[in-house]
Amino acid sequence: MILELMIALTAGAAMFGTGLYGALSQTNLVMIIMGVELILAAALVNLVAFWRYLHPEEPAAQMFVLIIMAVMAVEMTVGFGIAIARFRSRGSVEMEEARELKG
Amino acid sequence: MTVQMIFLVFFGGAAVWFGIVVFRTHSMVRSALALLFSQTAVGLMFLVMQAEFLGVLQIMMMATEMSVMAIFMVMFMMDPGGMGAMDMTHQKRLSLWAGGIGLAAALAVIWLADWGPIGTDIPGAAQQTADLGRELLGRSMFIFQSVGLTILTAMVAATMVAIAPAKEQPK
Repeated sequence: MILELMIALTAGAAMFGTGLYGALSQTNLVMIIMGVELILAAALVNLVAFWRYLHPEEPAAQMFVLIIMAVMAVEMTVGFGIAIARFRSRGSVEMEEARELKG
Repeated sequence: MTVQMIFLVFFGGAAVWFGIVVFRTHSMVRSALALLFSQTAVGLMFLVMQAEFLGVLQIMMMATEMSVMAIFMVMFMMDPGGMGAMDMTHQKRLSLWAGGIGLAAALAVIWLADWGPIGTDIPGAAQQTADLGRELLGRSMFIFQSVGLTILTAMVAATMVAIAPAKEQPK
C-alpha cells in the first residue's frame, strides 16, 4: 500500500465532497463557482498524486494538470460573464431568483 | 512516517479545512480568502510531491484568480461583510447527502483498490519542466492548442455576454 498516495487521494476526495456540497447548497452564483473550483482542485490533487506515485516517467499526466487549470479559468470567466449579465438585468446573482431559466 | 507524509497530511488537512471554511463563514471576503488559502495549500502539496513547476504555477494562478473573485464578491453581494448573517443556502440536507455519498464512494475506491507498484524514478525539476515542454509541443500539441482556443473563445463569449445591450436610437 502506498500511504502517501492514499493521503493525497483522501485529501482530494474530502475536497471533492466539500465542493459538491457547496455547489449544490449555495444560492449565490459566485459561491457556486467557488464550489466548482474546489471540485476541480480535487481533480488537480489526484492527477499530481497519480503522476508522482504511479507514473513519474509520464509527462502527459502533468499536461492534464495544465488542462484542468485552463478549465478552471474558463469556468470562472464564463461564470462571471453570466453573473455580470444577470446583475445588469435583475440586480442580483441569487440563483433562487433565476427560476425562469428552468425549461 | 516519512517527512513527505507529514507535510502531505498537514497541507492536505489545511486544503480541506479552508475548503470547509469557504461555506461556513458569512463574510464573502473571508470566503474568497479561505478559498485562496485552500488553493495555496494544494499548490504546496504539489511542491511536497516534487512537482515544482506545477506547484509554483498553482500558487501564482490561484492568487490572481481568487483576488479577482474577492473583487466580484464585494461587487455583487448584498452583504459582502457578512454583518447581517444572511442565510444564502438551500436544499442543505440534499447537498450534505450528495457530498457525503461522493466522499464515501471516493474513499471506498481509494482504500480498496490495488494501485500497483510505486514509481521510484522521479525526474529532477529541470528535467520535468523540459519533458512537459516537449510533451506540450510534441505529442499533445493538438490538445494544448485546443485548450488555448477554448480560453480565447470563453474570453470573447464572456465579454459579449457581459457587455450592456446597446439602447436603440429613436427614429
